[in-house]
Amino acid sequence: MATKIPGTKEAREVLKKNKIAIAGVGETEQGKIPDKSSFHFLSLASKLAIEDAGIKKSDVDGLVTAFSLVEHTFMHCTTFADYFGLRPRFFSSIAIGGATAVWMAAEAAMAIASGQAEVVLCVRGDNTLSGISSSGMVALIREMCHAEFEFPYGLTTPGGYALAAQRYLHDFGATREHLAAVAVTMRKHAALKENAMNKEPLTVEDVINSRVIAEPLTKYDCSIISDGGAAFIVTTEAKAKELGIKNPLAYLWGMGQGYSHQYLTTLRDLNQIYNAIERSGQKAFQTAGIEHKDVDVAFLYDCFTITVLLELEGLGFVPKGEGGPFALEGRMEIGKDLPVNTHGGLLSQAHLGAMHHVVEAVLQLRGTAAGPRQVKDAEVALVHGNGGIVSAHSTIVLGKEPL
Amino acid sequence: MAENKAYEKPLPEFRPETKPYWDACKKHELVLPRSKVTGEFFFYPRALSPGEDMSEDLEWVKASGKAKVWTYAIHHMGPTKAYKGDPPYVVALVETSEGVKMMTNIVDCDPRDVRIGMDVEVVFDDVTDEVTLPKFKPVK
Repeated sequence: MATKIPGTKEAREVLKKNKIAIAGVGETEQGKIPDKSSFHFLSLASKLAIEDAGIKKSDVDGLVTAFSLVEHTFMHCTTFADYFGLRPRFFSSIAIGGATAVWMAAEAAMAIASGQAEVVLCVRGDNTLSGISSSGMVALIREMCHAEFEFPYGLTTPGGYALAAQRYLHDFGATREHLAAVAVTMRKHAALKENAMNKEPLTVEDVINSRVIAEPLTKYDCSIISDGGAAFIVTTEAKAKELGIKNPLAYLWGMGQGYSHQYLTTLRDLNQIYNAIERSGQKAFQTAGIEHKDVDVAFLYDCFTITVLLELEGLGFVPKGEGGPFALEGRMEIGKDLPVNTHGGLLSQAHLGAMHHVVEAVLQLRGTAAGPRQVKDAEVALVHGNGGIVSAHSTIVLGKEPL
Repeated sequence: MAENKAYEKPLPEFRPETKPYWDACKKHELVLPRSKVTGEFFFYPRALSPGEDMSEDLEWVKASGKAKVWTYAIHHMGPTKAYKGDPPYVVALVETSEGVKMMTNIVDCDPRDVRIGMDVEVVFDDVTDEVTLPKFKPVK
């Protein structure tokens, strides 16, 4: 049994009292779209989410953005407010890598619960694929490792994840096939998602035989790079009613974070990563008052195949070392034990942090919105984000009904 | 490799608290920072001990230079154009006998022969006049 995490009772009371929920979502087209800028995508995604909620732009009084890998701004949220013509009374930019999108929902909830805003637009968009310069790409790689004590050895971002993967294979006797199976499931799901970038079927052999990037990882173990935007709107049930929002709401049931390290150099062992994932997950689980069996659909950060296995295990869906067989047996597919990333994830749909993971979780809970990807009777969804090299974690639990 | 060819790969930018480390490397000595309060080694170097002591009372201790490979990744693609022609090369996280981990390259060995748990020892690569990178090679 997991240890009791402090603060969950307090968090639960706040979420229960305010009935905080995601009431609108928007996704632009995704892929290689060279004729749109970063702020164009941010604006389009915001517009789509506002229209999806059926509210006016001026109803939005809070704004949470992240960062751009292309347009370097010191104050991203207010730069976007200026561009889009918003006058928020609450604004914040979150920069915790892949843990960002999930935490945007939590940040919005905390802002709402403390009276800072009532309708918070959370948005990310970037033209990473078309717009990033080669020096920008190098700067990004440099950012992901220690510039002074790691980067001079030629460590790349896939290389950092390969270091984690190699140790994982060693500790648990896992195989290349186990990692590859994650990419295969994501591709199957992407085939059902309209705006997914990569839909051609993929086999375990295809993954293993694709170009080697950093052993043990090959091209298809690595997420794609794409252009696009996505947004969601967080508010309360009462405010949603007042504004006449007709969408079924996706209620925020729990949230949590877990920190392991920033640089792999300071990592003690894989357990340190597992503990951070577990802490993040357990805070969200215990706040939501649910167990693993209650989760109908999960969204796990899949920047590389290895992260999905670490998250499945760290969150406690399967015992340590058993994520690989779980993936290989197809148990993450729609209709199976635990559908994971029904939209195709970062490995096959698009890469915008976990924005699409959050959006798809909301669509799943609406009941019919996910079309052919719909998980039958989905009532509880979990979304987990990971930033850095499996270093910073955030988790939310969303429910179809109020907490 | 042509000796006169400019070194274009990323180089460390020294900070006041890390300079003694790089100065020692230049003299082909591996030193590690240790808190005088707790007696614990830590890596990478910081101005204050990252332990509970938060001490600035630190010392540089000559390391054994012995380590074991904790994990490694054979890179088939480098982070910048300057790596063209280098891959495959090995980036590894090694655990030194003092108990800290260091990111490094495993050199003087076929990448295919690297294993987790392998005994390695420090060697120094004078990549420029100013910078010497400590790397590790298998213990014969």
